[in-house]
Amino acid sequence: MKTKLFAATAVATLALAGAAQATDIEFWYGNTGRPEQAIQNACKLFNESQSEHSVKCVGQGGYEAGMQKAIAAFRSNEHPVLIQFFDAGTLDLMLSGAVVPVSEIMPDVDWSDYNVGARSYYQTSKGELMSQPYNGSTLLFYANMEQLGKVGVTAVPQTWEELHDVAVKLKDAGHACPFVTDAHPWRVLEQFSARHGLAIATNHNGYSGLDAEYSFNKGKVAEHLNNLYTWRKDGLVKLNQDTEAGKYTDAFNAGECAMMEGSTGSYGAAFKALGDKVKLAMAPMYEGFERHNTFIGGASIWVMKGHSTEEIEAAKAFLDFLREDDQQIEFTRMTGYMPVTMSAMKKLKESGKSDDLEFATAEMGVASLNMPGSEDSQGLRLGFYVQFRDIFKEETQKAFNGEQTMQVALDAAKKRGDELLRRFEQTYKGVKLP
Amino acid sequence: MNNSQFHRRWLPLLLSLPQLLLIILFFYIPIYMAFFWSFTLERPFGGGSQFVGMQNYLRVLTDTEFWMAAERTLLFMVTASSLAVILPLFLAVAADRKVRLAMPARNILVWPKGIAGASLGVVFLFIFNPFLGILAPLNDLFPGIWQPGIDGKDAFVMLVAAQVWSGIPFNFVILLAGLQSVPASMHHSAAMDGASAWRRIRDIQIPMIMPQLFLVFVLEFTESVTGAFGIIDAMTEGGPGGATTLLVYKIYVDGFKGYDLSGASTQSTILMILVISLAAFQFFYLEKKVRYER
Repeated sequence: MKTKLFAATAVATLALAGAAQATDIEFWYGNTGRPEQAIQNACKLFNESQSEHSVKCVGQGGYEAGMQKAIAAFRSNEHPVLIQFFDAGTLDLMLSGAVVPVSEIMPDVDWSDYNVGARSYYQTSKGELMSQPYNGSTLLFYANMEQLGKVGVTAVPQTWEELHDVAVKLKDAGHACPFVTDAHPWRVLEQFSARHGLAIATNHNGYSGLDAEYSFNKGKVAEHLNNLYTWRKDGLVKLNQDTEAGKYTDAFNAGECAMMEGSTGSYGAAFKALGDKVKLAMAPMYEGFERHNTFIGGASIWVMKGHSTEEIEAAKAFLDFLREDDQQIEFTRMTGYMPVTMSAMKKLKESGKSDDLEFATAEMGVASLNMPGSEDSQGLRLGFYVQFRDIFKEETQKAFNGEQTMQVALDAAKKRGDELLRRFEQTYKGVKLP
Repeated sequence: MNNSQFHRRWLPLLLSLPQLLLIILFFYIPIYMAFFWSFTLERPFGGGSQFVGMQNYLRVLTDTEFWMAAERTLLFMVTASSLAVILPLFLAVAADRKVRLAMPARNILVWPKGIAGASLGVVFLFIFNPFLGILAPLNDLFPGIWQPGIDGKDAFVMLVAAQVWSGIPFNFVILLAGLQSVPASMHHSAAMDGASAWRRIRDIQIPMIMPQLFLVFVLEFTESVTGAFGIIDAMTEGGPGGATTLLVYKIYVDGFKGYDLSGASTQSTILMILVISLAAFQFFYLEKKVRYER
């Protein structure tokens, strides 16, 4: 409570200080590190490119912190015009009454140019985009070909069955960590279900109504998590806490582990550490399943309500600027995120740069996003989803620790998740999913 | 106190106004809001909050996760505060007896008080790292014996260690001050009567510093309930598998990561009532057993 009020006060002070000039607007973002540099770079270029508007880009130190501050700021009416939010907060924002859909204030933009996976995640049931996709990522598979080569494997495994065989070979050759993951629900639950064309909750993951219920505790998802559990016992899979590096990406980059499933955004660091030993592939499938699109990760930019026409004009100009092909390509180059429109991807390909290692994730990632979709691979419309992710992590962690079986963990996560969904439904009683 | 110095009635109030304002702004208003929200279902961005009576309380009080967190909080409170008082008591007695190096120890031991919970957490996380830390050799001898990232008990022990360490300096200073005010004549006469050093500690020093012991106990108990936040956030984030999710951390996660403002407010209110009753118990019951006059 105290922290929140303090945040609100701090935000209020900042906003008062910035209110001197009318065309100045603020954009709050959550990224840190290299993406933050790229965002600041884009702001600088925009402000230099014209004199009418000026955007002040303010880092919030993380997606979740940004959301918390935005809630406090909105409640005290000191919120910025533009704000970047992450994928898991989409439904909370859609129903918040605090945002204006981008397709409503910018009807002339060709929104259908955005990638299928990006559009379906952020659009209403009528096909209107709520927010402008910005830093798009998705799940890919990473392999250290030098280590795989030592056991005679020359191709990146495409299926979990192949991956298992390779892992066994590596283990037999004395490798301590064939495959590493953090078992984060984004990887083992959301992206897994999406590309296998499976739902994690009824109502097509909540797209057709807030009365959805979780359903991942049965079927292939449950089987996969049980497999991960068994493979970890067999010494084929390691989790964050089993690695010396302490984190799956660090463990892969340091050469401690031979394969990992990771975001496109992890490529920059992996390439820097391992160079061309790293090879990418789409995330592995189980045999007998048709591949569907993966979800878009990362974040999108939302326009918040309650601002003057001039401020909205400035926001539109900035969004137009960020959407430009060259800006997207530059952002991709600097961060490893992917271009989110088809025209930007086309331009990147035509320029011949897409073969450069800096752009290695772009083509693979976009291809993964543009795989044929199903009603269950559009995205997630599940309430209090951020909290659910924590519950999922907690329960599966208990299973990995040996405190309960994986099935008990999944059943418990479903039960607790359903309670969240019911409360969300009650909290937003009378609000219809747009 | 000469009252003529405060001939103006408002002066005392005026002088305490800044502090009062701060307390109202950062304590009473938030508490009022939390209390109010605990009876509503509150949307994160506001608008459409609805009164639901005792529903939130019913939900929280029937939630096993809440009770598990409460249980962990209690366990943490008892173990961490006891150790955080007993260890400095030993140190203070040693320093008071002017054992070798007592002088530098007295100064050095105060330093940790200046370290914030978050920084402390980062340092201890490194110290207790199962691959690189001081217990790593233990893992070489008995593989898997120390795994704070996997085993909830190990993680809990790690938190208690960090909390105790951060509590030692302040308690040490208070207890040492108490010990030093024990009249030397009592030591001398007891020694002449043939009482051993241990006997004198038990029968003279401890009873004489009861007020100080009471103070540090009260402070440690409340501090361990709310102050563990920084350490948890830096070291375990409530994991593994929720094994170190104390109430104070659960409230943060529910409210700030889960946007469940109503649930978090309800739990805050319950936690507040718990802490107040605990302090009341200490003051109304335990304090009766403390004698201040010498």
